[in-house]
Amino acid sequence: MTSIILLSVFGIINLFLGFLKSNKILLPAVIIFLAIVFGVNFLDWNNPQSHFNNMLTIDNFAVAFSAVMVLSLALILPFSRSYINSGNPHLAEFYSILMFSLVGAIMMVSYENIIMLFLGIEILSIAMYVMAGSHKKELRSNEAALKYLLMGSFATGILLFGFALIYGASGSFNIAEIASFSSNTTATDLLPMMEIGVLLVLVGICFKIGAAPFHFWTPDVYEGTPTLFTTYMSTVVKTAGIAAFYKLVWAVFPGLNEFWYPTLVAITVLTLVIGNIGAAIQTSFKRMMAYSSIAHAGYLLIALTSFNDYSENAVLFYALSYTVATVAAFGVLKLVSDQREGETYEMFNGLGRTNPLLAFAMTVAMCSLASIPLTGGFFAKFFIFGSAIEAGAVWLVVVAILMSAVSIYYYFRVVMAMYMKEPVGEKVAVDGFAAFMLIFLSIFTFIMGIFPGWFNNWL
Amino acid sequence: MEQAIYTPYDYLPIIVQFLAAAGFVAFAMGVTHLIGPKRHSKVKDEAWECGIPTVGNARTPISYKYFMTAILFVIFDIEIIFMYPWAVNFKVLGTEGFLQMITFMGLLMAGFVYVIKKGILKWE
Amino acid sequence: MQQIQVPENNAAMALICLLIPLLPFIGFVINGLGNGKLPKSVVTLVGCGSVLVSFLLSIYLFISFPAGSVGYTTEIFNWIKVGSLSIPFAFQIDQLSLIMLLLVTGVGFIIHVYSAGYMSHDPGFGKFFAFLNLFIFSMLLLVMGANYAMMFIGWEGVGLCSYLLIGFWNKVTPYNNAAKKAFIMNRIGDLGFLLAIFLIFMTYGSVTYSEVFTQAPTLPVSSEMITAITLLLFVGAMGKSAQLPLYTWLPDAMAGPTPVSALIHAATMVTAGIYMVLRSNVLYTMAPITLEFVAIIGLATAVFAASIGLFQNDIKKVLAYSTVSQLGYMFLALGVMAYSTSFFHVLTHAFFKALLFLGAGSVIHAMSGEQDMRNMGGLRKALPVTFITMLIGTLAISGIPPFAGFFSKDEILAHVFEHNKIMWAFGLLASFMTSFYMFRLMFLTFFGGFRGTEEQRHHLHESPKSMTLPLIILAILSTIGGFMGLPPVFSENHSLGNFLAPLFTASQQLNPEAFGHHMDHATEYMLMGISVVVALIAAIIAYVIYVSKKSVPAAEGTETGLHKLIYNKYYIDELYDSIIVKPVMGLSTGLYRFVEKGIIDPVVHGFGRITMGGGRGLRVLQSGAIGSYLLTMVAGIILILVLNYIMR
Repeated sequence: MTSIILLSVFGIINLFLGFLKSNKILLPAVIIFLAIVFGVNFLDWNNPQSHFNNMLTIDNFAVAFSAVMVLSLALILPFSRSYINSGNPHLAEFYSILMFSLVGAIMMVSYENIIMLFLGIEILSIAMYVMAGSHKKELRSNEAALKYLLMGSFATGILLFGFALIYGASGSFNIAEIASFSSNTTATDLLPMMEIGVLLVLVGICFKIGAAPFHFWTPDVYEGTPTLFTTYMSTVVKTAGIAAFYKLVWAVFPGLNEFWYPTLVAITVLTLVIGNIGAAIQTSFKRMMAYSSIAHAGYLLIALTSFNDYSENAVLFYALSYTVATVAAFGVLKLVSDQREGETYEMFNGLGRTNPLLAFAMTVAMCSLASIPLTGGFFAKFFIFGSAIEAGAVWLVVVAILMSAVSIYYYFRVVMAMYMKEPVGEKVAVDGFAAFMLIFLSIFTFIMGIFPGWFNNWL
Repeated sequence: MEQAIYTPYDYLPIIVQFLAAAGFVAFAMGVTHLIGPKRHSKVKDEAWECGIPTVGNARTPISYKYFMTAILFVIFDIEIIFMYPWAVNFKVLGTEGFLQMITFMGLLMAGFVYVIKKGILKWE
Repeated sequence: MQQIQVPENNAAMALICLLIPLLPFIGFVINGLGNGKLPKSVVTLVGCGSVLVSFLLSIYLFISFPAGSVGYTTEIFNWIKVGSLSIPFAFQIDQLSLIMLLLVTGVGFIIHVYSAGYMSHDPGFGKFFAFLNLFIFSMLLLVMGANYAMMFIGWEGVGLCSYLLIGFWNKVTPYNNAAKKAFIMNRIGDLGFLLAIFLIFMTYGSVTYSEVFTQAPTLPVSSEMITAITLLLFVGAMGKSAQLPLYTWLPDAMAGPTPVSALIHAATMVTAGIYMVLRSNVLYTMAPITLEFVAIIGLATAVFAASIGLFQNDIKKVLAYSTVSQLGYMFLALGVMAYSTSFFHVLTHAFFKALLFLGAGSVIHAMSGEQDMRNMGGLRKALPVTFITMLIGTLAISGIPPFAGFFSKDEILAHVFEHNKIMWAFGLLASFMTSFYMFRLMFLTFFGGFRGTEEQRHHLHESPKSMTLPLIILAILSTIGGFMGLPPVFSENHSLGNFLAPLFTASQQLNPEAFGHHMDHATEYMLMGISVVVALIAAIIAYVIYVSKKSVPAAEGTETGLHKLIYNKYYIDELYDSIIVKPVMGLSTGLYRFVEKGIIDPVVHGFGRITMGGGRGLRVLQSGAIGSYLLTMVAGIILILVLNYIMR
């Protein structure tokens, strides 16, 4: 709870810091703010409390996912050096909007009332619409923002309609009451209304996390959005969406699980297939990463189809390892694309020669995303698959493993370009902070891969 | 909680109010149209442009500053909506309500300062 | 039954167990970070030294191992713990892992020393040693791990290293493709392995060997679950150990530097599949159906790969197909439950195949990179050490006594003979072909006149000490290696078999007949005699064709070449050609062209093509127009709603 308030206040303070002559203080200030929020967040650990007449509940689930998301933002921001150097006049606003959107993300993982879930989603989404269009003079950025807004509001409408139907059937927005209504469905003739509501909510959330067949916005929007904010979209937004989804299906609609389970499984398989196959044919690295994020949403959805001792931790671990690897990959992309034109694979040619550090960090990130052992990504998938097997979904795991074999192809393409092609340009200049972050992210990935036990029994 | 049973009849007052509202508008527009004196001429039928001859299309891009001002107006206008109920229940809400309102107004004020400093309201 | 004895000085043991894999890892870190900065002498010292110390430590473990014990585990720390799943980071030291340790570090060390000479002119010297050390580390994890999760980590690790090392000379695109092919094929196999691990966990609630194997007999023999688990494990083994139909990556993997081929694609990594089956022997004993399947696949691979190897002209390709074929032998032995025999062949094969590869490397080194045997010939004068050592290797792999291969191969054939006479006949056929192509290789390379360019002739030289010394050591091992498993007719004391026996007690209790009986000595002598005679006949045929008649294989694909070959023979040769060589050659090239290039490759590539085709379909949907996106979305929603109401 304190973290929500603090984030809002810090966001406002940050806006005013933007009036200072030099914008050099902004980045350190935001990092310190986020560090404070990260620490304060853990005050609520093992101390579950309800706030605002049961609107929000801060439990360990909420604290853990909030921590991952705050950490993600803190990891992403060091790569914003080019904004500072170019003296972008809106830098403070960018930082503040991201912090405000984090408030929405935290609400999404701690809701006790589906109205709060809706509010959280909207706070996060509207911030993202703005960030997608933050390069006002760039056509692609504008296009991304407009597409995202139009499609996003469409999905919001569907989501809200779903909530309305659920409210109409169960007579409450409180998740406990909806859960008790949905687990006792024989006593009511309002079941069809409830069921349609559940399906529409499913569709709405699937849109937000970019699951197929509601993923069409993802590649276009990710590609047009400035890289820094794409990173944020594919990490924080996805984490928040999945965590909210997890809570929704297992805390709100558990009674109806026989009803939504087949739909969710179908969506999962479709997402895995479309994400991985779509990624394999891309020529642009950034677009590949967009499809890859769809694929990873698919893996996360596998955990959603199982509910047992492992699944919660598996989602958390996956979110963390995916975030770390994705931030590193996009971080390198940002640094390289700031100085070499384009976002294709060719841009990375010979990076191993000119910038060994960048190439190494990228390789580690790709290995983790492709789930090579000794990186966090391996255990992320291991836990997810383990939880699915435990729930008896063996064939789902078979599909997922087959698809992850496909993923080797496109993840290693960039590795090959970096080490096996002739360099296409000069050495890419990397500032100290970003270099430090890349080293940190790589080490973190290895730590997750070697000591997964440290991260996977929090919940 | 008592489960009230509603019949369509219970919604009659709402319908009546709708009709009254729509009727008033229709009535006012119709009457002015009918009883107002009308003198047509070429000059009079032109779009009114402060007496200056009209130039070009009406649908030209308008400076975003208009919109910014309008949006800011709406935001600061809406605050009143929160102040009315507070003012009505001022005594009941007591010190706590007062502090909450101070916080709210403080945030709003911060926003106002931000807007001013950012130069949104500067026309040039 | 499965009492785990822990030595008294537990902490010291744990430290030694930890150091054995850790030292190569440290070597990797040092060489990796200092890539291009450290002088070559330091790189060599770190790279070879770390493996040598691991080897010495392994010897210490071996000596201090209590005789007749069932082994012990040392837990380093609690690795993963979620719910009821608990996986400790622990090492299992028993007969199997000890010998594998000695093999990996010992042969690994020899090959490291060899590489120091072989790669001395390569600009990527440091990188190469870093990868080699990383490989040793992964391989040690694989064999030392006390549970399936650790085995899988090592399993993937060696796959990654193999990928890195195949693509080591990475400027050339075919090499990259070979590396990618190896990696993707292995991943397909790994799918089976991973699923098997999950199923094991589901069935037994643990993935630790000792727990799984003690609980294993609770399921009935041939129950579906056991069969599924063992089959899936075997799919993993098929990928890693290059069995039909997942073997095509191995010949392609010859694109890597020769020491890599020797270490990874002959001596150690490819035997990981055998190791895994041996490790899980209890499970396999309980699944006779799987065993039969393993035997058939193994035999088919042995015959098939040997027949392809008959007329390959690339010296390394011959050895590659030979490796595939010998791996098939090992699986054949596993399939007939001759577990310790299979492991015996793993050991002897590691010696003589590493020797042959390193010898081939020495030849290639002397020929300035030439790998085509048609351009060699008469090298025995220029490369005496290489010639003699490779000859020993050839005698060993062909099964000529008293060299190592004779004993292990003979033991396999004896077991197969007891199991099924037809299988034995096919095994003998493979043995015949093995002997033929190996002697063909020898004769083409070392006998006759030199057929290369003048420049190459000028450059011919014996390799440096660091390369010949490993050859000599391996030649000695290939000569005497067989005596650790003398057949019953010579000695009642099969020292390797006795040493390994505690590993198979559980299997033996489940299926006593498979372990018990011995054939009488007369049959045994007869079998031995037959296999030796067959090998000698093959050698003589090869001698007649390639030395007496000096025939050199024609350029590939030219019909006239084949005719020329036939015309230059005497009548008996013509007859021989038309009734034996031609059909066999036709079959050999046919299998190569039609089965490998016509069926297996297209299936593998087809998977890729389906992926790409599907992707193109997706691209049509991804038009960029919001209207069509929204339409698809709405269609999706309607579909979901309709399906949900139709389906019920």
